[in-house]
Amino acid sequence: MGRIVAVHSYKGGTGKTLLSINLAAALAEHGKKVCLFDLDFRAPSLATLLNVDHSECWLNDYLNGTCEIDKALLDLSERVHNGGKLFVGLANPATEAIRDMSSKDRKWEMRALGRLLALRTSLLNDKGFDYILMDTSPGLQYSSINAIVSADLVLVATTFDRSDVDGTRRMLRELYDLFEKKTEVVLNKVLDASSKAGKEEITSKVNEVYQVPLLGIVPCFCDILKARGGTIFANEKPDHPFTRILEEMATKIDKMA
Amino acid sequence: MIELQKHGRKDYQPTLTDAPLDVMTLLSMPDHLRKTAMTLCRMGRATADEISEQTKRARAVESAYLNQLVIMGHLKKERNGRKAYFFIDKETKG
Repeated sequence: MGRIVAVHSYKGGTGKTLLSINLAAALAEHGKKVCLFDLDFRAPSLATLLNVDHSECWLNDYLNGTCEIDKALLDLSERVHNGGKLFVGLANPATEAIRDMSSKDRKWEMRALGRLLALRTSLLNDKGFDYILMDTSPGLQYSSINAIVSADLVLVATTFDRSDVDGTRRMLRELYDLFEKKTEVVLNKVLDASSKAGKEEITSKVNEVYQVPLLGIVPCFCDILKARGGTIFANEKPDHPFTRILEEMATKIDKMA
Repeated sequence: MIELQKHGRKDYQPTLTDAPLDVMTLLSMPDHLRKTAMTLCRMGRATADEISEQTKRARAVESAYLNQLVIMGHLKKERNGRKAYFFIDKETKG
């Protein structure tokens, strides 16, 4: 049976979205049937990054109970080369929709959790998806915690920024642990990860600070900054070192099944 | 609750109405209740026996926790013959 993976972080700007898109693409390139969801309703970005300008239904509508999940999915499988399938569910980027999503009450959030939990049946069981990847808002947002509760695996994108380290450590103990979630850390924007000794030092430091497994170390790549979000490396640049790191992560996630 | 009243229990508490079981509520719960509530969230509707199969705790323990969650207003309880089913009321407008 397929699995739900939530990509979360304490702070913004840690690379969640970049990681989510490329990890989804890397898993699809492995021949998997993957669905990528934008659950960052406060600052939707997948629509822009994937160059999709409209959708019959948004994830907002699915969570509102006004459309079925099939209508909110867009098939982007033509961008995948190895026969894998890549679908996306987008958050509505309109200002009105963002405002609407920020004003939901607890009862609505409870129903939204029910609808996210129902995806296990509708997409993983019935439609045979291997993975649902959920890109979330940073910090303790309702939509993010709903995604975490629904997930089998939580990937925490973090950097060596001191406030990020402290906050991430707190979240590990006071959020993911409380929901008994399997959690792995992805250390992003690392400056000295080229040597083997450097990687080993970082790995032991992460284990010591967070006491959870390290899924991968992503160095700071100027090429990623230059691409300005316009390139899905896992699809378009198969030989780039960033793509190889993502492939390693995708393989590790696949082996956890 | 009716049973508690019938037996004249002093710890009888009125059922709170409509306390949504959202994730922030789940986070603020004690660990033992959160486990039961999370399991029911995943299952949708279940008996204490079915919950205990998932949590690996005794049926009587789960029954007590589920009833506590009903009293707190987070769950609803419905009898079908001898079986008591617990579920989250998502229909009430809030």
